[in-house]
Amino acid sequence: MPTPHPPDAELRTLIDRIAARDTTAMKALYDRVARKLYGLALRVLGNAQWAEDALQDAMLQVWRTAGDYRASLSPPMAWLSLIARSRALDQLRRRRAEREHLRDDIDDARAVELVSDEAGPLDSSLASQQAKALHQCLMRLEARQRELINLAYLRELSHSELAQQLKMPLGTVKSLVRRGMEQLRICMARFA
Amino acid sequence: MDLHRHPQLLDQLAAAHALGLLRGGARRRFEALAQQHAAVRAAALDWQHRVAGLNEVQPETDVPAAVWTRIDNMLSAERDQHAMTAARSAPAARGGWWNSLGWWRGAAGAGAVATAAVLVTTLALNQRMDTQIDDLRASLQKQPQVGYVAVLSDEQSRASMLITVDPRRGQLVLQRVGDYREAADKSLQLWALPADGAPRSLGVLTRNGQAKLPLDANALQAVPALAISLEPLGGVPSAGGPTGPVLFKGALIHKTT
Repeated sequence: MPTPHPPDAELRTLIDRIAARDTTAMKALYDRVARKLYGLALRVLGNAQWAEDALQDAMLQVWRTAGDYRASLSPPMAWLSLIARSRALDQLRRRRAEREHLRDDIDDARAVELVSDEAGPLDSSLASQQAKALHQCLMRLEARQRELINLAYLRELSHSELAQQLKMPLGTVKSLVRRGMEQLRICMARFA
Repeated sequence: MDLHRHPQLLDQLAAAHALGLLRGGARRRFEALAQQHAAVRAAALDWQHRVAGLNEVQPETDVPAAVWTRIDNMLSAERDQHAMTAARSAPAARGGWWNSLGWWRGAAGAGAVATAAVLVTTLALNQRMDTQIDDLRASLQKQPQVGYVAVLSDEQSRASMLITVDPRRGQLVLQRVGDYREAADKSLQLWALPADGAPRSLGVLTRNGQAKLPLDANALQAVPALAISLEPLGGVPSAGGPTGPVLFKGALIHKTT
C-alpha cells in the first residue's frame, strides 16, 4: 500500500480544522492551494476577473462543506480541484448566457490561446498520484491532442465546438481525441 | 447491442462520456446502459477518475491579493456571529446586540427593538454591532442555500436560538446564541407550529453549540412559527405534541433570494 505523501496529510489536517470552523486554517489552506485553483479557473474561463470570482466561490464552498470532505474518499487536491472546476463552470455558463447575443468571438480566440501555452512540467507537489500519472501521459501526446482533451473537459466543449474554435475538420477532431484517449488509457495503466 | 461485450467500443464511449463529448440521445443511452450493467458503469467511472486529474495539472497562477481580502470579509461574518454570542453574555452588550438583531424578526421584533433602544449603553458598541449585522446580512445574501431563517426568543424577548434551513440539502441548522443550558436529565425539542393543526416535532437538540437536523423538504410548508420545548431526556413522540413548557418561540421567515 503506498503511503500518502506529506502534502496530502497536511491538506487533510487543514480541511479537518476548517470543518471545525478554524479560520486560520482557512488562510493556511488558501496560501497552499489558491495559485493552483486559480490557475484551473483561469484555464476554464480565460478571464482573470471571472476566475477570481470562481476562486472566491470555491473557497467559500470549501468553508461550508469541509465537514463532508472525508466522506468523498478523494485525495485532498482532487476534491479541492473538483470544487474549483464546478464553480468555474458555473461562471462560464453564466457568462456564456450573458453574452449569447453578443457573439464575442475575440474573447473565445484569446481564451483558447491561454490553454494551449500549457506544456511544461507539472509545477505542483500537491497533485494526487492519479493526476501526476495523467500529466506524464499527457506529455507523450501530440500538442494538438493534449489541447483538444484539455478544452473538451475544462470548457465542456463538444466535438463541433472544438472543431470550430481550433479551426480543424470535425473528423480530425474526433479521431485525434479518440486516439489520444486510447493512448492515455494504455499509458496510465502502467501507473496503476 | 450488448455494449459490455465490445470492450473497445465501450472504452471509447466511456472516455468520450467522461470528457463530456457525448451529447443528447447518445449521452442518455450510455448513461442508461451504465445504470443497467456493472461493466459499463465501471468503465465510465474509471474514465471519470482518470480525466478528473485534468483539474489538477493546470499551470499555477499568481492570485491578486484582493481575492483573499474578499474571502476573509465573508468569513469574518461567521466570526462576528460568535463575537455577538460573547457580547450577549456581557450585561452592557445585551441591549445593543438585541437591537441590532431586530431586523431578523420583522414585525415580531418591533416592540423589542423599542425596548432595547433604551438599553443601549454606548454608541461605539452600537456601531460595532451595526457593522456585524451588515456583514451577517451580506453573508446571508451570499448563501443562496439558506431558505428560511428564524430567531427564537424567550419570554423576555432575548434571542436564544438561531435557525437556518438549507432546503436543497434537506438540513436545518440550530445555533445556540443564548446562555440557556438544560438540566442533564432534560432535552430541548424543536417543533413546527403550522397555521392550522397540531405542533409537529422537527427533532431533538444536542447539548453542544450547533446542531444539524435532517429535514423533509415539505416540513416547513405553511409553518409560520417554530418553538422549542423542555422535555424529558431524548424528547417525546411527535404525535402527542410538547409535554413540557415552551421556552423559546419565533417567526419563521422565508428568505427570498
